[in-house]
Amino acid sequence: MKKTILFLIISCLPLLVKAQLERKPATDVQDVELIFHAPRHINLLTVEPLDKKTLQFAIMHTFGTLDGGIQNLYGLDNGANIQFSFEYALNDKFSLGAARQSRDKIYNLYGRYHILKQTQDNKMPFSLSLMGGAGVNTSNYSFLQESNPTFAERSSFAFQMMGARKFTDRISVQVSPMLAYFVDPNPIFLIEGDQNLYLALGFSGKYKISGKSSLTLQWIPNLNNNLRNNLGVGIDLEAGGHVFQMYFVTSQALNEQYLLAGGNGVPGEGFRIGFNVNRVFATGRRKSK
Amino acid sequence: MKKRIYLFSILSFLIFPEKVLSQVFKTEKGNVEFLSKASLNEFTGKSSDLNGLVDLEKNLLDFFIDLNTLRTGIGLRDRHMRENYLETKKYPYAEFTGKIGTEINLVVGQSKSVIAKGKFKIHGVEREIEVPGKLTAISDSELQLEAKFTVLLSDYNIDIPTVVFYELAEDQIVSIRAILKK
Repeated sequence: MKKTILFLIISCLPLLVKAQLERKPATDVQDVELIFHAPRHINLLTVEPLDKKTLQFAIMHTFGTLDGGIQNLYGLDNGANIQFSFEYALNDKFSLGAARQSRDKIYNLYGRYHILKQTQDNKMPFSLSLMGGAGVNTSNYSFLQESNPTFAERSSFAFQMMGARKFTDRISVQVSPMLAYFVDPNPIFLIEGDQNLYLALGFSGKYKISGKSSLTLQWIPNLNNNLRNNLGVGIDLEAGGHVFQMYFVTSQALNEQYLLAGGNGVPGEGFRIGFNVNRVFATGRRKSK
Repeated sequence: MKKRIYLFSILSFLIFPEKVLSQVFKTEKGNVEFLSKASLNEFTGKSSDLNGLVDLEKNLLDFFIDLNTLRTGIGLRDRHMRENYLETKKYPYAEFTGKIGTEINLVVGQSKSVIAKGKFKIHGVEREIEVPGKLTAISDSELQLEAKFTVLLSDYNIDIPTVVFYELAEDQIVSIRAILKK
């Protein structure tokens, strides 16, 4: 009897609700968006894609160590390292970038490819992207007694895989196995390592404190050398089309290869102030209104 | 007894199928556009995924749109709009349910200005509004609806970015254009 009543109710249901339309989403699968605020997170690249035909510009700085105190304005007086980077999205999955770091006058060319995207229905629980890059040191070493390093000897390469998940609206985590290779880790270069190959595991964390700001964390333990590990903590502030990133980090390096080979200070007095500005430009056709 | 109930329910399906209610017009592809007209920056957001129903017999209007389908032309702005302002994960739809204030006797080929009264809901806030619009009977089975109204963002607890980059107007002009079919 219960069953029949239920059946009766169900069969009458269409008559009752027919008055209004059923609210249903326009698409079944929706990607999780804004896992991170920008394609950069402190110093590491993220899974955050760029829209097709948009150009992203990032200017990144790190300064001297904090231990100079107010006398050196907490490191701001001491040799800044600056990296400009431009990244252009050929389509929604692939973007090409060029960057130049002032330390060792490194030019880097890199690409990012987005393989997987986390979806809201959790059928795809994480996003996955690849990054590969090659750089060349263009410093002038003519003062050296021995012969100038050749182009090949000045070259270095980086590769990383970024896997990220937005766990809640507030918390996102990315794990990035990273690799850097120096053809010739010349002691004259501004790196501490003396080996060719560097392996590390990058961790990036974001804790959103409001709609437009997040606390950020970066930790890059080295896997095959005795260099200190990289640690960074900071804050991301979003202001319209800009993302400002301010942080304390143990390394002055901004370039991917140098991040792994450059060495790190002791967290605390060895921290340096860092500051990134990210800006996205839409270069595609924009409807005039 | 059981049999009778089954029979009754099957009959109820046969007696009241939707097609018989001849004055129901529907669409799933209506156009919506909002215009943000701030002093320095003007932009529009568009979607053509408006779902709508106009039932002339029962005098019922029902519209909704999945806000995730709105596009302003800049992807990052869209993502910020979804995540920080409209909060579409929590409140995916904008909805209007109401009725037409005046009596409507439409002749094919004729237009009529009407005022719809009802409840508009966006960002989890529901308010009574009045929407002026125009109904045109294109044919026996096609009805065109055009409407325009203003949404004051603060009425619906939608934030306006305080650090200005793309300036957002406090009042958004929403236009709707849809052809509904029987």
